[in-house]
Amino acid sequence: MEALIRPEFGLMFWTILCFVLLALLLSRTAWRPLMQAVEERERAMKRDRSAAETARQEAEKARAELDAKLAEMKAEVARRLDEARSAAEREKDVLIAEARKSAAVIVESARREIEAQKQEAARDLKNKVAELSVLAAERIMLKQLDHRANTDLASRYLAELEKERPDLGLECK
Amino acid sequence: MVDHVWSWVVLGPLRLPVSKHLLMMGIAALILLVVFPLLIRSRSAALAPFRSMIEIGVLFIRDEIVLPNMGSRGAGYVGYFATLFFFILIMNLIGLVPYGATATGNLAVTGGLALTTFVLINFSGIREQGLVGYFSHLVPKGIPGWLYPLMFPIEVLGLFIKTFALCIRLFANMIAGHIVILVFISFIFIFGSFGTAVGLGVAPVSVGLVLFTMLLELLVAFLQAYVFVMLTAIFTGAAMHPH
Repeated sequence: MEALIRPEFGLMFWTILCFVLLALLLSRTAWRPLMQAVEERERAMKRDRSAAETARQEAEKARAELDAKLAEMKAEVARRLDEARSAAEREKDVLIAEARKSAAVIVESARREIEAQKQEAARDLKNKVAELSVLAAERIMLKQLDHRANTDLASRYLAELEKERPDLGLECK
Repeated sequence: MVDHVWSWVVLGPLRLPVSKHLLMMGIAALILLVVFPLLIRSRSAALAPFRSMIEIGVLFIRDEIVLPNMGSRGAGYVGYFATLFFFILIMNLIGLVPYGATATGNLAVTGGLALTTFVLINFSGIREQGLVGYFSHLVPKGIPGWLYPLMFPIEVLGLFIKTFALCIRLFANMIAGHIVILVFISFIFIFGSFGTAVGLGVAPVSVGLVLFTMLLELLVAFLQAYVFVMLTAIFTGAAMHPH
């Protein structure tokens, strides 16, 4: 049991020698290539990550640009639609106004026509009435007085009648 | 468990033993010197798992042990700590192989390793802060002036105690499992002396317990290698950065 805890200094020397040599040799033969490989990979990963990040940012930018363009186009379309609608509105107003105007013209000319016709008819009637009266008087006068005196008398009566009753519209215009 | 010395080599004042533990240490060193570089440099896919196992170990030492305890200045010491870890680990594991012996279960071996740690602590501290700075920072800041004469010897003594504790911890942990296994096997013969049937009855129980202890030792082999390296890193880090 005592041998278990009695350190053998020769072995301690071997241990130290062995370990120091190992530490020196392994740092060259094992750990350096290992760490180089690891660092290489870490660098590659970092590079990849940054490349992916850049790509993502670019994609984001492109999307933002597209969005902006789309919004612009939408605004443009809306503007054009508004323009077209207001143009159509104006057009409609103009057409309605023109239609009203022409309708008014037609109504006016019809009214004038009617007036002219009415006056024409009145004149005709007056002439006919005068003629009929003359004819009637002539028949009467043929029996009583001479034709000439009676015709004068009738004309005088008619003139008087015109003066008394202008509402009959017998007057010639 | 006790070292078998086969012959002695006398080199001037040194009387060096050639023993079983030295052989085991040599095998561990050979594995580290030949197998590790070959594994690391090989590009074969069949060896890739072993390569990544080594890599995981080294990266763990770098990221979890060296850098947190020693700061960015510790990066240069990663190789030292990786060597220390794998050296101790392989020596521990060889002890679990049949016909193998646990070199780390020898006080001289753990003492030698602790001595290198002691040198490393002082070397890195002096390199980082200068000789005067290192010794003046040995005593923590914020201690009243009159305590310095008391604290300085305590701190110097602490340096030795820390490394001595390292030496004893590794030794005791590695030897304890072996002693327990030996006890369990001895039970078979102790009970066998009462009668063959009793001995045969105890044997399965003993073998089961030995198996369990072996598994525990496997865990301890990794754990103690980690603990030794971790404590070395903590002490070295404390020596490098006194605050």
